[in-house]
Amino acid sequence: MDEPQTSLPTTKVARAARFAKTGLSVGANYVKHYAKRAVGADSTTDDLHAANAAELYGALSEMKGSVLKVAQMMAMEKNLLPTAYADQFAKAQYQTPPLSGPLVVKAFRDAFGQSPYTLYEEFEPEARQAASIGQVHRAKKDGRQLAVKVQYPGVAASIKSDINLVKPIALRVMGLSESQVRPYLEEVEARLLEETDYALELRRGQEMAASCAHLPHLQFPAYYPELSRVRILTMDWLPGQHMKEFLATKPSHEVRNQLGQALWDFYQFQLNALHQVHADPHPGNFLLSTDNGGTVGVLDFGCVKEVPIDVYTLFTALLAPETFADESILEGLLAEAGVLRPTDPAALRALYLRTLRVSLELVGRPFRQAIFDFGDPTYVQSLYALGDDLMADPDLKKQREPRGSAHFIYLNRTYVGLFALLTELGAVVATNVTAAVAEAR
Amino acid sequence: MEKDRIKQAYLDFVLNEGHPPQSVFKLTQQLGIAEQEFYTHYPNFEAIDRELWADFGHRARTAAASEPVWEGYSSREKLLAFYYTLLEILKQNRSYALMSLRRSLKKMPGLTPRVLDDFRQDFEIFVSDLLAAGRVSGEIANRPLVQDGYPRFFWQQALFVLGFFAKDDTVNFERTDAAVEKAVTLSFDLVGRNTLDSAFDFVRFLARR
Repeated sequence: MDEPQTSLPTTKVARAARFAKTGLSVGANYVKHYAKRAVGADSTTDDLHAANAAELYGALSEMKGSVLKVAQMMAMEKNLLPTAYADQFAKAQYQTPPLSGPLVVKAFRDAFGQSPYTLYEEFEPEARQAASIGQVHRAKKDGRQLAVKVQYPGVAASIKSDINLVKPIALRVMGLSESQVRPYLEEVEARLLEETDYALELRRGQEMAASCAHLPHLQFPAYYPELSRVRILTMDWLPGQHMKEFLATKPSHEVRNQLGQALWDFYQFQLNALHQVHADPHPGNFLLSTDNGGTVGVLDFGCVKEVPIDVYTLFTALLAPETFADESILEGLLAEAGVLRPTDPAALRALYLRTLRVSLELVGRPFRQAIFDFGDPTYVQSLYALGDDLMADPDLKKQREPRGSAHFIYLNRTYVGLFALLTELGAVVATNVTAAVAEAR
Repeated sequence: MEKDRIKQAYLDFVLNEGHPPQSVFKLTQQLGIAEQEFYTHYPNFEAIDRELWADFGHRARTAAASEPVWEGYSSREKLLAFYYTLLEILKQNRSYALMSLRRSLKKMPGLTPRVLDDFRQDFEIFVSDLLAAGRVSGEIANRPLVQDGYPRFFWQQALFVLGFFAKDDTVNFERTDAAVEKAVTLSFDLVGRNTLDSAFDFVRFLARR
């Protein structure tokens, strides 16, 4: 993907055309698959998934912006997707082809009336990293190393039409109807639109850094309002490496535990004290280093989920140990969350109750123990197995209608992401210090 | 200096009135100079229009080339930078640019409007230089018989971009930016080494037997 940006379909028609093309290729892959099968050749379903995923990724990365964002979200929920798709989408989290150099210069001229080469003392023309709706350049000014995020032109304007493009495909893949998913898509759309507003991100980044300043082993970049505009954001360049490269350096257990602890405390503090969470915990947004025995740099406050107090109460109650002691409490909470409905037949109710009890028990386990080992392979395996079981359950398969509050989308995403980070780190974390962290405020 | 004054007065008049002055006499009277003075610099008003456009192109090339990264750009990026800078200059003079483009493009769609004659000459020289540099760096395929036509081909692209700009009604001409990015990429894909060259090579090989 180190080819320069060659095309940027900004119009709705162009993007639709791109999608239609993908649809055709995916269709063609199926034809190839069945043709191979027909002649008795050994074409596994994995091959098919891999071929389709590559097509989709190609289309998505060319379209940038919100579609890419949706892809990233899907990639985080690895259990929901065949591995081949997840792998391709995971690529999107790290690498997308950059914009052409002159277009970057132009974005600066539009925003500041001057080129980045005069605005900063040094500005690297090659993007260091893709940030899904923008790309990150490295710059230098007044002796400070800076990270400069440049947004792709026309992204904000295209979000609505992008969602309309993704919708039919998503509905098809998941077998859902439009009215069932509307509240969820509205929630996603609202977050995506917020994410295109770099002025908002700047403010949130500053606020978050101030309120989390007392938490140990965390590092936040300083933001520079005078060097930022709606589509350009300038912040400090933080030291450290992304998860994959960092783990390749074989950090010690102590370091990994400290990093995991810092992440855990950060998220618990946000949820319990601030009632808003950095809802984009994919590996690209954290920089890890061994400074002071392990420091986490937190980037990208574009996606912050504010948690209404009733949702917060519900969410924490669902994870509390008492909930599992008494079936009726769980039932009451699930009804409140909109997962169980009064109109549900008894058998369906029992099915939901059973599955959610199992998944909540497993997912909530770290919250109920004083110390939790995220590196424990049996835990990770049971998480994956749970996903597979849920996917395979024939009764559940029939129930494709999504349920529950739309607020849970980003809360779930946050914790799925956090767990993914912690298990990848293999960290042992003192998890039950939530109360202590909240009180320390 | 007198020449610049005449040019500026003409531009002001067109911007204020929406059309050229009725006669050279009227303009020179307004300026308080003798009519002959005008003719020592320009034969007629169209010549000023052509010069104004040539100035836009010249300024775009100079501004684009003054970027410190210019030397590091490939030919494709240089052309992109030229277009983006040109569009910026046109945006600063959008009333005049849109007026003269819309007037002349409506008259002869597809053909080069006379007001762009001087602009075109400079543009084709600029593109020829870019292409020559591109051939040295290997960015552009060497096709001896065809490549003499390239500057004309790129001129059609420039006309397309200008026409697109004249019709663009999006905020800050964002669609024109996208059009430039796409058009330039396509053209460089075409002049770069691609399937055509391999096909041609193959046919030539077969024909020699």
